[in-house]
Amino acid sequence: MRLNRQLIPYLFLAPALLLLIVFNLVPTIATLVESTFILSLRSGERVFAGFANYNRIFNDPVFWKSLQVTIVFSLLVNPIQIFLALCLSILINQNLPGIGVFRSIYLLPIAVSLNVTAIVWGLMLDQNSGMINGILTQWGIARQPFLHSVDQALWSIIVIASWIGVPLWSLFILAGLQNIPPPVLEAAKIDGANAWQSFTKITLPLLRRVLAFVLVADTVANFLMFAPILLLTNGGPQLSTNLIMYETYRRGFLYGDLGASSAMLSVMLVIVFIIIGVELYVLRGQD
Amino acid sequence: MKKNVKPWTAYFQPALVYILLILGVIIVVVPLMWAFAASFTPNHKVFEYAYPFSWRALFPVDFTMEAYDNLFERGFGRAVGNSFFLAIATVIIGGAANALAGFAFGRFEFRGKQFLFLTVIMLTFMVPVDLTAIPRYILVNNFGWINTWQGLLVPGLANSLVIFLFRQFFAEIPQELIDAARVDGASWLRVLVSIILPISKPVLVAAGLLMFISQWNSFFWPLLIAPRQEMRVVQVEISLAIGQYGTVWNELLAGSMIAAIVPILLVMPFQRYYVQAITGTGLE
Repeated sequence: MRLNRQLIPYLFLAPALLLLIVFNLVPTIATLVESTFILSLRSGERVFAGFANYNRIFNDPVFWKSLQVTIVFSLLVNPIQIFLALCLSILINQNLPGIGVFRSIYLLPIAVSLNVTAIVWGLMLDQNSGMINGILTQWGIARQPFLHSVDQALWSIIVIASWIGVPLWSLFILAGLQNIPPPVLEAAKIDGANAWQSFTKITLPLLRRVLAFVLVADTVANFLMFAPILLLTNGGPQLSTNLIMYETYRRGFLYGDLGASSAMLSVMLVIVFIIIGVELYVLRGQD
Repeated sequence: MKKNVKPWTAYFQPALVYILLILGVIIVVVPLMWAFAASFTPNHKVFEYAYPFSWRALFPVDFTMEAYDNLFERGFGRAVGNSFFLAIATVIIGGAANALAGFAFGRFEFRGKQFLFLTVIMLTFMVPVDLTAIPRYILVNNFGWINTWQGLLVPGLANSLVIFLFRQFFAEIPQELIDAARVDGASWLRVLVSIILPISKPVLVAAGLLMFISQWNSFFWPLLIAPRQEMRVVQVEISLAIGQYGTVWNELLAGSMIAAIVPILLVMPFQRYYVQAITGTGLE
């Protein structure tokens, strides 16, 4: 009976933990293991290959190009999204009549999937007859190629990703803003601080934890950007939107080269662990 | 007397806030309104008012159900049914498993608790599922689960974010409530079902929404694991439509609108719960 009682929490944990271990934890480790094998989906053969997969991808200009595009994309999309999300969260945190309606409307993109967003925006950005070009020509601006141009395609993906990303991350920052006790801000006002001073000296420092979390979560999410590439550009034109996640899919599932694909995913896994490690380091030591 | 007169800047600031908010609303709403209107428009007129732009682009002025009729004739209803089935099964089965785990973490002291939480829950929470999709695919392939319901459903049942939500909620329930029932000789499972669950509506709604919507919107895994036509979910079906029927825009948009409207209708009445569910971990 006593033994039974001690077993109870383990029994409650068992179903979910077993599932997480089998389908999440094991595959995380297996990614690293799998990258040392060459496996063909077609023949089903699986041969140990040491670092051959890594050798192949590290000597492959397409991989380096894709890593480069991903880094450029990250350096653009994350600051843009976080800055706009911060602005939006301040706006919807204002205590004004009707603000609830605005908050509800800004939830719409968060409920919609990235696929739907990509399809709708893909047509909005159509180079011949999309609405954005329709508006531009009315303003006397020439039609733009958007997704069909080496210079504009990545920016178009940034717009599509941000349509969901900005309202999503603003929710986290809004929650952080609402955690700031009003007396703190009132005290600053009494001490003669203007709006800008109280924002930079009080609000921002108090948002540090939330902003650090958002920075990491946003970076990781954008690092895995996939659906808009598959649906709209297939990595083109001229590999200008060939983000790393799409490249792993192309290698693994379109070309059946799971070894190279796993090696790339291992590199990505290491990068994600570094990003998370930096987060844990930054968040440690402050309460 | 001077105190009652607001300086003009006091009016200026709210006006500026409203202008910026409305600008944002336009960016959010216009694509959805156009897509919605265009899905009720004959295909050859989909872009008619978009280029050059006129306000009529935002309303179904040439109303027709043609796109929806054709879509369902081609079997889109099957994909909708598949998505609903998967999402509901995930909420029920996954919800039970995650709630039990959250209960154990929130209410029990046991050996290895900290270790299990840090390694299994935190690690699986931080490593995005798409990143480990290929070894998961190989694993599920070994089970013979390609193009099966098990393959679609089982790997997504346990959700560390949902376990986390349940843990937080259960940890805050007053101990006296549980003690009273335990003294009466109720089993733990009975305590969970008849004491805890009835007062757990907020976390149940939040977790249910989170599981339903993430399953409904999931794309990468169903794309890999169940490409066969009878098994396709809505997200996969619309993504393939872009290749197969790339120029039948009104049907593409009709499928997208069906994919979009379900989570929107679920989120709108329960906004507070949904926001809490998705921001729950960020503030820990």
